[in-house]
Amino acid sequence: MKYITTLDGKEYSIEIIDAHHVAIDGRVQEVDFESISGQPVFSLIVDGKSYESYVYETEEGWQVLTRGRQYNLTVEDEREKRLRAAAGSGVAESGEYHLKAPMPGLVVSIPVKEGDKVEKGQVLVILESMKMQNELKSPKAGVVGRIRVKQGETVEQRQALLSVQ
Amino acid sequence: MVTKVLVANRGEIAVRIIRACRELGVDTVAVYSEADRKALHVRYADEAYLLGPAPSRESYLRLDKIMDIVRKSGADAVHPGYGFLAEREDFAQACLDEGITFIGPKPSAIAAMGDKGVARSTVVKAGVKVVPGTEDVGNLSNEDLLALAPKIGFPLLIKATAGGGGKGMREVRSIDEMPALLMSARREAESAFGDGNVYLEKLVEGARHIEFQIMADGQGNVIHLGERDCSLQRRHQKLVEETPSPVMDEELRARMGAVAVKAAQAVDYMNAGTIEFLLDKDKNFFFLEMNTRLQVEHPITEMVTGIDIVKEQIRVARGRVLSYKQEDVKLTGASIECRINAEDPYNGFLPSTGRITQAILPTGPGIRVDTGMYPGFEITPYYDPMIAKLIVWGETRAQAILRMRRALEEYRVVGVRTNIPFHQSLMDSTRFMAGQYDTRFVEERFSMEELAESRKSFPEIAAILATLVAHQQTQRSAQIVRRGERDASNWKWVGRWERMHR
Repeated sequence: MKYITTLDGKEYSIEIIDAHHVAIDGRVQEVDFESISGQPVFSLIVDGKSYESYVYETEEGWQVLTRGRQYNLTVEDEREKRLRAAAGSGVAESGEYHLKAPMPGLVVSIPVKEGDKVEKGQVLVILESMKMQNELKSPKAGVVGRIRVKQGETVEQRQALLSVQ
Repeated sequence: MVTKVLVANRGEIAVRIIRACRELGVDTVAVYSEADRKALHVRYADEAYLLGPAPSRESYLRLDKIMDIVRKSGADAVHPGYGFLAEREDFAQACLDEGITFIGPKPSAIAAMGDKGVARSTVVKAGVKVVPGTEDVGNLSNEDLLALAPKIGFPLLIKATAGGGGKGMREVRSIDEMPALLMSARREAESAFGDGNVYLEKLVEGARHIEFQIMADGQGNVIHLGERDCSLQRRHQKLVEETPSPVMDEELRARMGAVAVKAAQAVDYMNAGTIEFLLDKDKNFFFLEMNTRLQVEHPITEMVTGIDIVKEQIRVARGRVLSYKQEDVKLTGASIECRINAEDPYNGFLPSTGRITQAILPTGPGIRVDTGMYPGFEITPYYDPMIAKLIVWGETRAQAILRMRRALEEYRVVGVRTNIPFHQSLMDSTRFMAGQYDTRFVEERFSMEELAESRKSFPEIAAILATLVAHQQTQRSAQIVRRGERDASNWKWVGRWERMHR
């Protein structure tokens, strides 16, 4: 199976040949890959070097934590890549941002109103969880769309709070 | 007598107290909320009683229910731990009225020190310097505070009268932003302590947060167990503590220790307590507040003194004299504590909740882990995000740092995100290694990203890892589909397969 894996804008073509061999940009590498203690912890031995890491799937792709650094990657197989190319790019930039609760908690306040213009980094919602008040900020400039929660409301993880257009 | 102790707390500190009781042969009673039925402290204690629903207000802060359980269980002593009811004078008083031992100071001392305003005026009378701030702290209204603020001068801090742990604390740079900050400080204080009163204090810049551990018995003996440097904080929450402080010398320790003892004596203090100071760049120190309870970071003092503070607390609560005199207290080596929080350091330190599926604890020489969690335990949004304390001891500060790095690398927690990567970066930072930091260091001059940049990068390894894991997942989901596509039932299929291989 062939995959296109992207890290910081650089694409790697990675082919999984069998359980012990991968080809990275055509170069065949011997790999010894084991899952440790269930999902996110993995051990990889390449060229006698041992890398232990956490690998998490996120909404945007994959997060790899190894040797004190974090890497954010996307992994697509060739079909997915073709589909995305056909659909055209630029969808992500013009899209609406939906702010979801990153954790369950209590909505302490919503310092913005529907229709407000917001800057990147502006606080949209203050959510209390674990006795701490957490400021949820806008990742982009835009206009506040529908606000789906009220002050004082308890929300579940991933519940939609509001959107920024 | 103390023969059966009710531990009015949860999490790692409840476990810590139960451990001391076990070693002393004292029975233990745990209390728990509905969210904590499977918590470690409930499993370790001899007896356990339900308090109520998960929110603290309906469980761990319910003094009336705790006193009911005291009666029901026949406990003859209560240990409050830290947080929750630990610094509530009415709790200590209720125990006294009930004729049982409160393992802590007298209600009068909690009242005097617990109310930060009274504390300041008391120690000032005893000749101890304090940080400038609102002198008369009672129930000052927002209008009063806004009027007083310019006299104290900006920047300043709004602090909760009943506070601790940075909750209800706000930094104010100008009068314009003060009304909004007052509101949010009061709101947070109200929800954390059930008391929305706040006061103001001048912000000492470039300061270190140095605290002294005090132990006092009922016979008037008061000693200190040296200092702890708690300057590494984020949003006024301590993250890393160490002892000895890299800036401390014998002479300064003796002077500050003597003042700490004097401050404790001013309120006729008994049991374990902590005097917090701010130490400025020129080594001037100011009394900040006294915590009339056991501290989160007490283990580092235990590591360098060899004294079991919780056991000593129980000893003095029994009316006995301290086991140590000031000259018996010797500091050996260095100790560091990292607070492991369920927070994602790569995502603005947002709290992370969920079930711990795997926890591999660091072990080996000089390592101690105090925790209340285990694989299968659920981290809920109801309580503090601190899930463990990782404590190391080394012969020297340098050795302690190397050991902490090693231990952080070994520590694996799966199920929630933790701030372990943050601690790893901190232990690698040259400023930390040199001991050059103040209370603003983490927020203003420390960047995890910068440190990560300085480390060797393995982009290809990361790409291979992500691809292998993604591939594994695709394969697995493909198999699930294939199994469903089989027309015959699985039993029939196994039967055919077995017959074929006969």
